[in-house]
Amino acid sequence: MFSRRNFSLAAGMAAAVALTAGAMIASTANASPLVAPGEPAPAFIGLDSEGQSVALADFAGKTVVLEWTNDGCPFVQKHYAAPPSNMQSLQADAATDDVVWLSVISSAPGKQGHVSGTQANALTASRDATPAHVILDPSGDIGRLYGAKTTPHMFVIKPDGMLAYEGAIDSKPSARVSDIDTATNYVRAALTSLAADEPVEVASSKPYGCSVKYE
Amino acid sequence: MIRIFASILAVLLIGALAPATAAPVDGGHARVELIAERSSVLPGETIYAALKMDLDPNWHVYWRNAGDAGLPPELIYRETSTVPGGAIGDFVWPVPHLLPVVEGEIMDYGYSEQVILPFPLMIPANASGTVQLDVVADYLICEDICVPETADVSLTLRVGQPVPDTMNGEMIAQWIAKVPLAFVGDVRVDASGTPWKLSLRGEPGLSRDSGIRFFPFAHEISHPAPQPVTFGSDGATLSLTQAGQTPLEGNLDGVLVIEQADGTRFGYEISAEQGPVFENTAGLAAIRSGKGGAGGTGLLTLAFFALIGGLILNLMPCVLPVLSIKAMGMVSAAASGHANELRSHGIWYTVGVLVSFAALAGAIVGVRAATGSATLGFQLQNGPTVAILALIMFLIGLWLMGLFELGTSIQNTGSTLASRNGAAGAFFTGVLAAVVGAPCVGPFLGAALGAVLSQPAAAVFIVFLAMGFGLALPFLLLSFVPGLQRVLPKPGKWMETLKQFFAFPMFLTAAWLLSVLGALSGHSAVAWTVAGATAITFAIWLARRGGVPARAVAAAVLVVGFAYPALRASAPAAAEGTSSAYAAKYETEAWSPERVAELTAQGRPVFVDFTATWCATCQLNKLSTLKSAAVQDAFADANVAFLVADFTRKDPVIAEELKRRERAGVPMYLWYPAGASEPEILPEILSKDLVIGLLGSS
Repeated sequence: MFSRRNFSLAAGMAAAVALTAGAMIASTANASPLVAPGEPAPAFIGLDSEGQSVALADFAGKTVVLEWTNDGCPFVQKHYAAPPSNMQSLQADAATDDVVWLSVISSAPGKQGHVSGTQANALTASRDATPAHVILDPSGDIGRLYGAKTTPHMFVIKPDGMLAYEGAIDSKPSARVSDIDTATNYVRAALTSLAADEPVEVASSKPYGCSVKYE
Repeated sequence: MIRIFASILAVLLIGALAPATAAPVDGGHARVELIAERSSVLPGETIYAALKMDLDPNWHVYWRNAGDAGLPPELIYRETSTVPGGAIGDFVWPVPHLLPVVEGEIMDYGYSEQVILPFPLMIPANASGTVQLDVVADYLICEDICVPETADVSLTLRVGQPVPDTMNGEMIAQWIAKVPLAFVGDVRVDASGTPWKLSLRGEPGLSRDSGIRFFPFAHEISHPAPQPVTFGSDGATLSLTQAGQTPLEGNLDGVLVIEQADGTRFGYEISAEQGPVFENTAGLAAIRSGKGGAGGTGLLTLAFFALIGGLILNLMPCVLPVLSIKAMGMVSAAASGHANELRSHGIWYTVGVLVSFAALAGAIVGVRAATGSATLGFQLQNGPTVAILALIMFLIGLWLMGLFELGTSIQNTGSTLASRNGAAGAFFTGVLAAVVGAPCVGPFLGAALGAVLSQPAAAVFIVFLAMGFGLALPFLLLSFVPGLQRVLPKPGKWMETLKQFFAFPMFLTAAWLLSVLGALSGHSAVAWTVAGATAITFAIWLARRGGVPARAVAAAVLVVGFAYPALRASAPAAAEGTSSAYAAKYETEAWSPERVAELTAQGRPVFVDFTATWCATCQLNKLSTLKSAAVQDAFADANVAFLVADFTRKDPVIAEELKRRERAGVPMYLWYPAGASEPEILPEILSKDLVIGLLGSS
């Protein structure tokens, strides 16, 4: 016959198992990938606005900039505003220095910033932008791989494939064009340091902007 | 009557004269305005003004730390103002809410619907006529998309005698009441492992049914990650997920937001030094998701586990015997081939269990509404309830032993009534199963159910009904699935033997309840309960002797046998000690000049708080300083008399005193050091150091 204690014990253990399982189910939602400077940038393959397949591995040996963007976002508009054409001049300088600039659009269909390849190309033309490719990531897979939170959210990858910089485009979190002038541009600083073979002083910052419009 | 008219007229006149705040400016998705706690101000004083924003439905603005995306509102000073730019202080930020953008991935912190962000405003000492503050309110407002908006807003205040703007003052005070308090207690963060552990010790208000969330000022931790919490006897510990891989440098600063079971939210500002988790602040489970509320899936999960818990309850020592009797009834019914009757029994039994669990849920919701909190197992924290439960267990034991029969005579009155009586019998067996199960529910499922206690009434009912259904499920299955019935053994003499045997677990359960009772109400309550059990046994014995007078006496003895131990058990063994440190120590008495004269004549130090509910500065001082445990302890140590002059309604005596001190408005703080008859007038904005410093100097 079962004793009273055995019953309690068995029942208590069953409850404990149930509770632990519940707690584990609750906590698995938090598996967000983190990309840190000094570590290898995750490999990805995406489709660009021309319908061509673009892989990070294609650019091994070159410095690569990833720019998360959404043309409806006021923070993106701030940096594309002409003048001062902040983003465009970064892209132009990158092209000159043989740095590969990839703009990534992770807006889900129906969400702000979601565009077709044709629309993306039209946007690039109308803004005088010169990215090497505009990668369309409507599933958000690449965005989540990098943990992109905002538009803009910038990543600079060294020729050896290591992440050199991750974070905001500059030091002044605002949507005011007038702040661009007085802000420190972290991406430009990182690219300059890399070109001079010096360590990147600010390797990580808190990105600011609109949230990426994931599914 | 005439006087009332006169005062109404005066109010109207003041209202008309006061250069009222301009109408709200529509920034696009928010109506924005500047408000102040005064319509007329004294030169040189500091008052509270505020940025008031009424947002479109579903749009948000952000806290000082916006989280993963977004920006906090800011005020940009314009040169057209007649107060200098330095006159505007920083916002004091009310506790924020979570704004999940992408579940589990992007989390923002901010406000919906309406937000009032108070800030101190210093009136220049040389001000005259009117003062004007012109600012651009620059804010990012988001729904699915974000829009940066600006609104040019102004505030104009007359300079002269201070006149409170009661409506705006009250509104600002309400939001200042939402500003985090200083944390009274110890807080440490252990950032040496994964996850980080934020350990809190010694703050009342951290009960196991509260939701706790840490909102950092910076971005050391992942904003969307859940923050599982466990409790100990001395506090609580939160698990935080590190953002990125940068080790924590220095302290972890932010706001701890506590949401109590009744929905009350308040915050503590904390600065956690690095160090190991405090003892006794972790280990006890509280399942309440870090999201701060029950989502649909969370509730479903809880209900599922409650169902399993109910199933397990069938095996509990206090429930099993009762159910065995029920099972034996089923054996008989199955053997006699009454399938329909069996089904109706199953249904009625289930109804009985569910009604009882609904009653339990109702009791919990009721207790929660009445006292502001409920803990499961509360039925075992009440002496009389425990005493009566012990007696019921004992009585059931006697019945199992065969000392008396329940309802035999009724069952024999005829087969036509049998099914109905059977239905009633099944129903009450269900009730009985729930009642005898109740003592086991608390200790055994307390942690699991703690999660649901803080949730809306509907959720409490759903979870309890799920648990009841779990308890009833085995019998429901037995009565509906024919194959299972065939598995049941054949009825026989063994049933009587087993029934008698099951009396012993019941007696043991009664013994355990007596030990609980001893801890709750002392040993004399235990002795009286044993005496009550004796009286009950005597009553049964007497009733069986037969005769109407003997039965009447037996009934009376039975009632006394239950009632008197319950009465004796209602005397608590130990005093309750769970009141909030603020309320407990914030002892005040009403101010009058006579009382001050009396107290100062005794040589006691006196602190007078001239205050009003519509005075935002007063409320902030109260929260930040006067009600704080540090100040209250210091006052108690120095035997300071704390007098409050409440100017919420016009009071000529208080008005006279204010006038005499040339401070025609509240707040005013007077400090009479020990032995002094004339007070020192303190600044309008207090700090703990300042107030405690007074004691040192006296």
